[in-house]
Amino acid sequence: MKRYGEHRFPGRLFVVEGIDGSGKSTQLMLLHQWLKSEGYGVVFSEWNSSLVVKDTTKRGKKKKLLTPATFCLIHATDFADRMERNIIPLLKAGAIVLCDRYIYTAFARDIARGLDPAWVRELYSFAVKPTGAFYFRVPLEVSITRLHAARSGFKFYEAGLDLGMTEDPDESFRLFQGRIVEEYEKIVPEFGLNVIDATQPIEIQQEQMRELVLSKLERAKQLRVAP
Amino acid sequence: MKVTNGVILPGMELSDLVGKLIVIEGTDGVGRSTQIALLKEWLEQKGHAVLDTGLSRSGLVGKGIKRAKEGHTLGRITLTLFYGTDFSDRLEHEIVPALRAGFVVLTDRYIYSLIARAIVRGLDPEWVRKVYSFAIKPDAVFYLKIGVDDLIPRVVFTRGFDYWESGMDVYTTEDMYESFRRYQTSMLEQFDHLAEEYKFKVIDATPEPRKIFEKLRAGITKVLEGETHRPAAAHDVATIATPPSAVVPLAHDPPPAPPTAPESVARAAESTEDRMNAALSKVRDVSVGDTEA
Repeated sequence: MKRYGEHRFPGRLFVVEGIDGSGKSTQLMLLHQWLKSEGYGVVFSEWNSSLVVKDTTKRGKKKKLLTPATFCLIHATDFADRMERNIIPLLKAGAIVLCDRYIYTAFARDIARGLDPAWVRELYSFAVKPTGAFYFRVPLEVSITRLHAARSGFKFYEAGLDLGMTEDPDESFRLFQGRIVEEYEKIVPEFGLNVIDATQPIEIQQEQMRELVLSKLERAKQLRVAP
Repeated sequence: MKVTNGVILPGMELSDLVGKLIVIEGTDGVGRSTQIALLKEWLEQKGHAVLDTGLSRSGLVGKGIKRAKEGHTLGRITLTLFYGTDFSDRLEHEIVPALRAGFVVLTDRYIYSLIARAIVRGLDPEWVRKVYSFAIKPDAVFYLKIGVDDLIPRVVFTRGFDYWESGMDVYTTEDMYESFRRYQTSMLEQFDHLAEEYKFKVIDATPEPRKIFEKLRAGITKVLEGETHRPAAAHDVATIATPPSAVVPLAHDPPPAPPTAPESVARAAESTEDRMNAALSKVRDVSVGDTEA
């Protein structure tokens, strides 16, 4: 088993990371559109969890059976399933694979729930290393304002209510996201995530993203023609 | 006081776990469940409250794993982590509360079987060990050891070869006998490594069940007695490796003389009911599956 393997598959993997409301999904969608228009074989890794894992996760959440440990492990199970059945086959087939959130989300979230940072990193060491990973950095207040405009109320685990920091969902969400941001900031240098300032205009952010993706794709082409 | 093999899960208090964690390990068909049933009865007669548990029995994941195995749809890393989720759920919701309430927890397999299965399926041994490093170190691990030649007739003449126990997901052969032999041989090899690494007490599983039971009983008695004098370190296990003295009385097959329980154990037994009630309120009932799953 390779650990955080620099994969040798013909495909390329780009991932976006950031807290809710950072605008990462919008940016990934725009990248997808552009790559398609450029004629690349690009796949947005839409994930349909296998039924058995999905049912377990759903039941655990609905009945609030999950502890930080089982929350972490059931999501790691689901991620492994995604890796084995979806991402790796796509990369083998030579696709450009786009993922909205990757292992770094799990690192930040699980460590914010109190799990051992080194252990969580080890747990996910089977994951393929992305060709490029983007972190959309945004002040907490900005993201929360965006979320409030878009939706009403947070879910139990999403708001970190399982940690019992406070009973107020909004306040709990804020505290939990604050912890997650702290973890992300440690992950960025450690795993070489490319930081995008998510307070910039959407177009500027997209330009920065495309530039980096393009450089990686060109390098890939060069590698292929090399003897 | 208990310790883990590495990391400690969030919110897991280990200092007040006064019960005993006893693991029965061994490969498929070696007779673990027979022994556990006998041990449970014996321990209860001695006045100990017993929780018996085993793999894939968690309220959260147990059913999911069974379904996954029916469909053979999960990859090897996925299946390993699914088992890990199940294990963690049982550890937090059953084993730890029962240990806190002073139960003897008898578990039919533990992380060692999970580690062996994963390694035989080609996963990185170091990774698998680290993943399971949150497990609490048992007070004792009894390994029912058998060779593959002795194992095969037992399986053939009882339940027959099972898809997973034969490792049919591991090898390409369609010959179930051949596959079973290869798979179990690899599993036994892994168990030998683990026995050394984690200091199992090895018990020869070829004699008749009653003799195995007596050896287990002697070993468990020592674990329960030892505890009243000093806190047991899980790795401090050199005491029993089926001492020769155990062989002699077996020849006469004497009636089981119940070992006199040390005073503190007897005291613990008096308040068993209270402890049980306390534990039952914490231990989630896993036998009653909810229909929604």
